[in-house]
Amino acid sequence: MSGLLVLELFLAIASAAVIVMLAVALYGSNRPAPQSEVSAKGYAIRRYWFWTILIVAAIGFAISIPRFPYGSAQTIGKHYTIVAQQYSFAAPPTIPADRPVVFDVTSRDVNHGFAIYDPDGKLVAQVQAMPDYINHLPFTFHTRGHYTVRCLEYCGIAHAAMQGGFDVR
Amino acid sequence: MSAISIEADAFAPATAADLRVARRIMWTYISTGLAIFFLMMLLGIAMRAEQAGWVTFDPGWFYALLSLHGVGMITAMAIAGLGTLWYLVRRETPLDPRIAYLAYGFFVAGALCVIIAVFPGKFGSLWTMLYPLPFVGTYWPSWATGVWLVGNALVMTGFMVWCAQILGALIARFGGILGMLGIGYVFNIRGYEEAHREPPSPQMFAAAITAIDGIIGSTFGLAAGIGMLVHWIDPSVAIDPLWAKNLIYQFGHTFANLTMYMAVAGVYVGLPLCTKREYHTSKPLAIAWWGTLLFVIIAYFHHLYMDFAQAETVQFIGEIASYLAAIPVVVVTVFSGAMLVHRSGMRWSLGSMFLYAGMIGWVVGGTAAVLDATIPINLDLHNTLWVPGHFHTYLLQGVLLFTMGWVFVTLEQRSATITSLAMRWLIGGTIFGGAAMFLLSFYIAGANGVPRRYAVEPAPGPELATVATIGALILLAGIIIAAIEALRLARLPKAQEAAA
Repeated sequence: MSGLLVLELFLAIASAAVIVMLAVALYGSNRPAPQSEVSAKGYAIRRYWFWTILIVAAIGFAISIPRFPYGSAQTIGKHYTIVAQQYSFAAPPTIPADRPVVFDVTSRDVNHGFAIYDPDGKLVAQVQAMPDYINHLPFTFHTRGHYTVRCLEYCGIAHAAMQGGFDVR
Repeated sequence: MSAISIEADAFAPATAADLRVARRIMWTYISTGLAIFFLMMLLGIAMRAEQAGWVTFDPGWFYALLSLHGVGMITAMAIAGLGTLWYLVRRETPLDPRIAYLAYGFFVAGALCVIIAVFPGKFGSLWTMLYPLPFVGTYWPSWATGVWLVGNALVMTGFMVWCAQILGALIARFGGILGMLGIGYVFNIRGYEEAHREPPSPQMFAAAITAIDGIIGSTFGLAAGIGMLVHWIDPSVAIDPLWAKNLIYQFGHTFANLTMYMAVAGVYVGLPLCTKREYHTSKPLAIAWWGTLLFVIIAYFHHLYMDFAQAETVQFIGEIASYLAAIPVVVVTVFSGAMLVHRSGMRWSLGSMFLYAGMIGWVVGGTAAVLDATIPINLDLHNTLWVPGHFHTYLLQGVLLFTMGWVFVTLEQRSATITSLAMRWLIGGTIFGGAAMFLLSFYIAGANGVPRRYAVEPAPGPELATVATIGALILLAGIIIAAIEALRLARLPKAQEAAA
């Protein structure tokens, strides 16, 4: 799911939450009612509310599972080694398009991030680059062009300038 | 665990003198917390202004200020929340004030160490200090790393001292851990009713869960901190970077998350004062707090989604726990709070407005967090400005508003006065309007992939940082006006013995 789509979803839910909360507080505020009366209605609604939230959470979790980036990364596609260090990436100059590849990402010194931005500047994939560990990031590129790599884990004074890149052909 | 007792309570209520001492402790903690918060806010504005290109300072100072800002903000809100909780617990059970001052001493000593590490040490490893960063390729002297680690350890020790005191007092007060957590009540409601025994009040649940999770979190944090101190003394002692990351994030997430659960005690006590209704303990409330007890300490795995070397099982747990953590909030605490206000005829004073708005902020910030805690979404948002968007909402429009709400409710009750309508509009407009500008800029930038923790941001970061800086300045103005109004209320003569 792209970041902008998530933003739209967030704004929709947040706006609804604000409107509902304000409506609950302001509706009937000039006609006070005993707490017992409000509680009786509220508890009945809460039962449905609980199940609604639980079902939405369960659906969200079920939808997300097939999209987890873990799993069979070690067996599919050609592997490319990425080594990060303060403040550069050692990466291959070109990556093939339309074929699954796996980035084997590690670090020579501290924790870094290996984040791939497409030719339009959109963040399309990322993984951490850790010393003593190799993280396997599977990905398939469908758009040709120059991809920029940025460090997305704070790594020191030149963190913001730590960039690399490769061409997808 | 001791057996559950359902005999009628036999403890002596606090005297007026006890409560005077307790109130002094609460105000000491709250004023210290809010003062630190204000100073950290100035640092935050300076950094956003730098990202917007309004001012220029070297990246070393940017990251040093960011380190101080991160640790300082969470500690500030924790100190304020712990003060409120200490007072509320003291109303219900005896507590030794000297322990509260001992914990406060640890906080102050820790804060001084952290400040010295930054001024003049220029320590810039951020609050995360992900091993081995504080020791590799540093631009600050080695002593600053040591002082920073000692400072953090002192803060964690102070937190542990506070937690241990509260935990001991609540266990004694409620006849054991089962009584303290309302387990005895949930499984034997009739027995409680027949014995005319009350379950723990909602604010006691907040105190108990803060104390238990606080001890667990601080243990993780101290393990990481002491490990790094040993490495600092003897570099041949190595630490596993993934273990260090787990320990740090477990502590960091727990500590930050608990600030909300500390502050929510102000809602449990403050909203009933505003609405003249009761916020009482029920079965769902007790069960919700059991969930919170668990989810707060295991949801931290969502910070490590992009560490693919981490066991896949815990990534699942991270997502499930993050989802479930939202249920007690939206189904019980916020829902009950809204029910309390609905058709209560409550007057919208600054206190009630901040408490209610804090619940909305909690839901909004929590929504952003739950979305980001969804692993496929986290792939696009991890370590972008979305993340500070979420926790700034949580802190500014949740924890801070709860704290300010509690302060204003207390002052309004004490003086039997509420702020004029024009002033309420001015304060509300500047605080909510400024916060909306400030926070939205984070979310929009994050959704566009702008990384967090960049002294110099790629587009559209600088443009959005300009909007954020203007919003933050408006918010700052609102907070200053609110502070002046709080001081005015505090100077009014006491109308009656403070109900709070």
